[in-house]
Formats: sequence, C-alpha cells, structure tokens
Amino acid sequence: MRRIRPAAAVIALTLILTTAACSSGSSGSTAGAEAGQPVSGGSLTWAVETEPITFNPHQYAQAKARLLVWNTFEALLTHDSRGGHLPWLSTGHEVSADGKIYTFKLRTDVSFSDGTKFDAAAVKANVDQFLVEGYNPTVLAVQLRNLDRVEVVDPATVAFHLKQPDVLLLDFLSSPQGAQVSPKSLKEAKNLKAGGPELAGTGPFILDRYTAGQEVHFTRNPAYNWAPANAGHTGPAYLDEITYRFLKESSVRVGALTSGQVQVIEGVPATDEALITANRQLSLQRGLNSGSAYSYYLNTAHAPFDDLRVRQAFREAVDVEAVLTGVYRGSATRAWSVIGPTSPFYDSTLEKTYSGDTAKANRLLDEAGWTARDAEGFRTKDGKRLTVRLVQSAPFVRDRRDVLAQAVQAAVKQSAGIDLNVALVDQGTATKALADGEYEVFDNSRADTDAGAALNLLLHSGGAINRTGLKDPALDKLLEEGQASGDQAKRLAAYQQVQKLVITDQALILPLYAPADQVASATTVGGLSFEPTAGVPGSAYNVWLSK
Amino acid sequence: MSLALPRPATRRLSLRIPRPGLALAGIVLGLAAAAVLWPSAFAGDPLAADPLRVLEGPSAAHWFGTDQLGRDVLDRVVHGARHSLSIGVAATLIAVGAGLLLGLLAGLTHRFADEALSRTFDALSAFPLVLLALLFIAIAGTGTTSLIVAIGIATTPHYARVVRAQTLVVRRAPYVTHAVAFGASRTRLVLRHVLPNVLGPIPVLAMIGLGEAILIAAGLSFLGLGPQPPSPEWGAMLSEGRGYLHIAWWASVLPGCAVTATVISLTVIGRHLQNRFEGRIQ
Repeated sequence: MRRIRPAAAVIALTLILTTAACSSGSSGSTAGAEAGQPVSGGSLTWAVETEPITFNPHQYAQAKARLLVWNTFEALLTHDSRGGHLPWLSTGHEVSADGKIYTFKLRTDVSFSDGTKFDAAAVKANVDQFLVEGYNPTVLAVQLRNLDRVEVVDPATVAFHLKQPDVLLLDFLSSPQGAQVSPKSLKEAKNLKAGGPELAGTGPFILDRYTAGQEVHFTRNPAYNWAPANAGHTGPAYLDEITYRFLKESSVRVGALTSGQVQVIEGVPATDEALITANRQLSLQRGLNSGSAYSYYLNTAHAPFDDLRVRQAFREAVDVEAVLTGVYRGSATRAWSVIGPTSPFYDSTLEKTYSGDTAKANRLLDEAGWTARDAEGFRTKDGKRLTVRLVQSAPFVRDRRDVLAQAVQAAVKQSAGIDLNVALVDQGTATKALADGEYEVFDNSRADTDAGAALNLLLHSGGAINRTGLKDPALDKLLEEGQASGDQAKRLAAYQQVQKLVITDQALILPLYAPADQVASATTVGGLSFEPTAGVPGSAYNVWLSK
Repeated sequence: MSLALPRPATRRLSLRIPRPGLALAGIVLGLAAAAVLWPSAFAGDPLAADPLRVLEGPSAAHWFGTDQLGRDVLDRVVHGARHSLSIGVAATLIAVGAGLLLGLLAGLTHRFADEALSRTFDALSAFPLVLLALLFIAIAGTGTTSLIVAIGIATTPHYARVVRAQTLVVRRAPYVTHAVAFGASRTRLVLRHVLPNVLGPIPVLAMIGLGEAILIAAGLSFLGLGPQPPSPEWGAMLSEGRGYLHIAWWASVLPGCAVTATVISLTVIGRHLQNRFEGRIQ
C-alpha cells in the first residue's frame, strides 16, 4: 500500500527529454565547403531514413536504398542526365539489326574487392543467378522477360541474346538489380539474399560492417580506378570511410544534423525545410525522382472498386492540392499521371482533368447505389459500409506517407462519406494482405529510371505488382509495344495511350505526388549530388569533407 | 495513521476546506469525467480535418491549436479522454476482478495451490508492467481490446497479492470460524463472510492503480499498439505530434499535459483517500 508510483514523473520526463533532444541549437564547424576544392580523407556520417531490407543489389526494392548500392556495386551502364546510357563497367555496346542481340565490350582493368577479376564470365554468372528459382521473380518477369541466354564471347565481350526485341534490357543493365556482384561471393555467401559484408563488388567503397537497426559502415576501396565519364573525378573516392546511420524519425535526423552529430541527412520533411534554410551552417538540395508517381492503385477485383463510378468518386472526393499543401506545406509536386512529370513519357494533357469535385463524387456514389448513411456519416449499401482498406508496409513508408494517408482518409470521409481504413503494418503482414486480396487501395511509387519498367510491373496483367486486378489485353499490348520499340517516339505514343486508359478511361489510379529527395548537409561537406535521370541522392564517390 | 488517540478537532475542519492541490485534482477529474460522459457537449468533431489550417498555434478559434492534419487539438483531447480513460477503467476492472478471484483462491485453498499462485504473482511482479503488457500484445495483436486485456493482466498480480493477504486474515476471524461452526455452505461462506470483508482496501488501491493503467495505456498507444489513427487517444496524439515538436509544440505537449494532469489527480485523490481510510479498514 505504501509503494510510490512514479506515475506522472515518467511521462513528464519523456516530454522534457523529447523537447531537449529536438531543440538543441545548431553548432558545427564554420568552414564552408562551397568555395573549396575537393580534399581526400576524413570520415563522414550520414543519417538516412530507410534501413535497407537487403544489401544484395539484385534484391534491391527500396528507392531510398539506392544511394547505398552504388557505393559497393556497379553496373555495365550508367545514366546520363537525359535518360540515355553511358558505359560504366563496359566500354561500349552494339545492338544487332533485329534488336535481339546486345553485345557489350567490357573494361579489362576492373576487379572485385575480394580480388576476383571482372570479366564476361562474371557478367554471365550474375545474370544466371536470376534464373535460380525464387531468387528475384520480379526482375525475371519484367526486365529479363525476353532474355534467352547470355553468351561469353571472349573474356572482354559478352552478348545478351533476346527472344524478342526489348529495350528494358538496357534499363536492367543500368539498374541496381543489374549491378555486378563477385561470382565468388555469389557462390559462397551464406545469406545471399540479405547481402552485407560477404558480398564483394567493384565500387569505390567496401561495405565492412552492418549493425541491424543502427548503421552500416563503408571504407574506401583504394584500388578503385574505373569511374564512369560523368562521375566528376577519377581514382579512388575522397572519403576514407562513411557511416550511414538509420534514423527513421525525421525530427531525430534534423536534430542530429543541427547538433552536429551527423554531417548529412536525407529525407527532410517539408515542415523542417525552413529550419535548415534559415541556418547558415547548413544547406539543402532537392531532386525530383524518375519513375512512377506516388499513387493509390484501386483494386478492381472486388467490391466496391469493381464499379467504375465508385473509383471515379473516390478520386473526385480528394482535393489532392489541399491535402498536399497541408501535409507537405506546398513543397510537394502534384502528380496527374501514373508516370512522374520528369519522365520523357509523361502525358501532360492529363493535368487538371479530374479530382476535387465533391459534388460529382457524391452524385456518382448515389448513382452507384451507396445512398444510405450510417451513424458515423459513412455511406452504406445493403447495410454494408463503404469501406476501403489501405495497407501500408512500414519499410516502404517515407515522406510521411502515413500522415498523407490520414489526410486522404479525412478528406474522403468529409467530402463523400467513404471510410478509408489505413493500417500501417510490418512487411510480412502487408505482403500477406496483398496476397490474400485483403485490400482495396495499394500505394506505390517506383524510382525506375525507365518508367516503362514501372508500368510493366504495375499495370500489365502479368505484372508482379499488378494490384489493381485489371486484366486488359489492349493495355497489355500497348505496354508490350512500349517495351519492344527502340524508337522513342513510338514508345511515347504507346505510353501516352496507356496513361489515358488507366487514368481517364478506367479511373484506376489516384496519382498523388512526384516523389522527391531532399538532402541537407553541413556546409563543410562538398560533392553531394543527385543521380542523373534517377533523381535520387547519388553515391558517396564524389563526396568530400573540408578540413 | 491508526493512532489510538482521538483525532483533534482541527483535523475535521481541514477536511471541509480541502487543500488547494486536492481541490485542483478534483476539478481536473471532474472535467475528465465530463469529457468521458458527454464529449460532444464540450468539443466538436475530433476527426474534422482542414488541410488548409495545419499546425496553427493556439488561437481564439482553436484554443489548443491544430495538428498536422488541421484537426482541432482541444476537440481531440476532449474526445481522447473517453478512449484513454475507458481503456484505463476497463483494464483496472479486469485486474480487480481477476485479482479478487485469484487472491481468494490463493487465500482459501490448501497450501499447494496457495504456494503455486503466490509464486506466480511474485514472478509476474518482478517484470515491469509495460513489458508484461507488451508481451501480451505481441501474442494477441494490437488494438483497443487487446490493449485493455494486456494492461488488465499485467496489473492483476498487484491486486491478487493484497486480496490474498486480506483473505488470510479474514479466514481466521471469529465470525468466519463461527459461520463454519454453524455449518454454512462453502459458497455462502465465501460470498457472505469472506468477500465483503476482503473488499475494503480495493477501491482506494484501484483508484491509484487506475492512474497507472492510464499511463501504461498512453505509453503503449504512443508506441502505436493501442487505438489506431485517426482515433483521438492521448498517447497516440503525443506520438503523432512528436515529429512536429520543434515547430508545433501544442500538438503533442497539450495531450501530454492531459495525461499528466489526469494521472497526477488520480494519484493525489487516491493518496488522500488512502490516508483518510487507512487504519479504519481492516
């Protein structure tokens, strides 16, 4: 009976501690890097939002993990700033007249960090790894769908034989999934799919330590001397070592930067941007991502979204502009199509063709038979509430997408009486819900450099993440046209039709915003940049610290 | 407190004019009770979002400001009282009920069962309450119901131990031995003679325990294990607002104050009752 309860003390203390942690003033060095020349040496700490679910580049799935991939691994091709390709581990490639054979000449001066030589046999071993059942069915089904075989012509020449013309092969060979892993580690790694220090690459850094939930550490690869032409410099990287700390909470990241615990952070929430720009010790950069826009895909496989009118109503019920302004303070770029506005295939005629018309939303729902209302104000039909479920997988939630979902939830409730049920769950639970069809809304954005790859995955009837349940032969045919042709104009025409079909005709998708990356850093850090075309933060190869 | 001397007259007077702390605690609890029973009388829709008025500071229109979705924080705090307090009350009821049952069982059955139950209570008491509750939630999943049950189970041993101790005293009391001598049935013995005399310290204990239950509930909700968004629950509001703490302190600090004020008030009043009645209740 005389036990003292620290009841109130605990919560008060929590409050005080959080306040203290978040309000610590800015400090840090006064030297500015903008004016200086790159210098070698030093160790950098970089706080990132997302912890990768894997360090094996072949299994790459999170756009936010891309900056880590290119530290350790490299691909045959890289991107220039306009969506084209540049040689990286190759010196050039030729395409046969029928578009079915791609022959690559490889660099001969490259070796993996475990000492293995990089050659045509290594390239073949990497691609063949995808043929192992269950290794990465998504890539096999899209980018490598038309691959027949890989032929080692000589140690410095490799040929990809296709069953039919497919331009997405080049996208694969420039993507993280197409990155080259040492054949020795492919054979010997105990946990190949998870990756980590036991996978050797050819990149400018070597991943030598990974502590789950905390950080991943890279040291410079001193032998590195094969940077692509647009990399900014040649020879080894500037930094001796770099540590990426996983700080999921944006306020913690910003606090870590302003207090000088880390020198660089990525993922700066819109609400904190003013805090960074107002501080003269810090600088902020933004880059729009390529690929698909962050969108809600509506599941047509069952009620209520099997009804076109309900899909249209859902889209009209959201005033996307207002929601984005509220959540992102006007710093987000609104998306109008499934393809991001920076892509060459973006169809700008879709702009302002829908959304935000509450009266229309209500009229459509009335027509569809959702006329009654229950005690909480939600629409019902035959006693069933108009409920749609969105299942968000925590490792993929970035840019406060959970808050955005709540804003959309409030919007559709207030304007049309739709009950959007949002669940933020772990990846396993989300995968199960999606596999069982226990969802009506699927949220996704893909940072593929070629938007065509994203569309194939999301919209083709055989697409690995086709969550809309739509199986339309006409749509499939358009997507295949876009994949087969090497002619940019033909591809553009096909993809514009695709966008018209899914956005205007089928109201299959509610595009929300074009994903962007923000990088904030102390002014002592130089060489930070965004990857050309992809628009995501680049690797640490060019990054340097002034002394 | 259980002095044999008669109480001085001033003591009685001081009870009539309660100390300011006690009065304040009473007012806070009164407000909280009103918010639980009839929230819509004091506040508007806690879910009404206005994306054009997000994270606005306290003003005449929004006394507690607005949160990251433009919802009125005061409305949410008022409606949140029902969530937070009812979770605490329900969990405490479960704990008291289970504690009574298990405590009586331990106190009245033979040595072996008593030993087994008592050691189980001891073992469970060795774990921090939050850890026990987390364990249960890990098994049963998140949500309001499992949160209530989790906290109920975690706090049960506390009541069970007190009930057992009381039972051991009461079962040897003359009126019980007399009832046995008169041939009262076992059920009648327990319900009519033992139980009412065991109940004594429970209300005061539950009052203080309630504060603790509310605090654990808020803590677990903070971790995302309680009512899911957009439910206005104090712990969940604290959690949602913490990302904006440096630009909009009101979205998290004010719900936090609501928890703090309620828990302190419950503890103050519980302590007061304990001091008043301790010694009179056996």
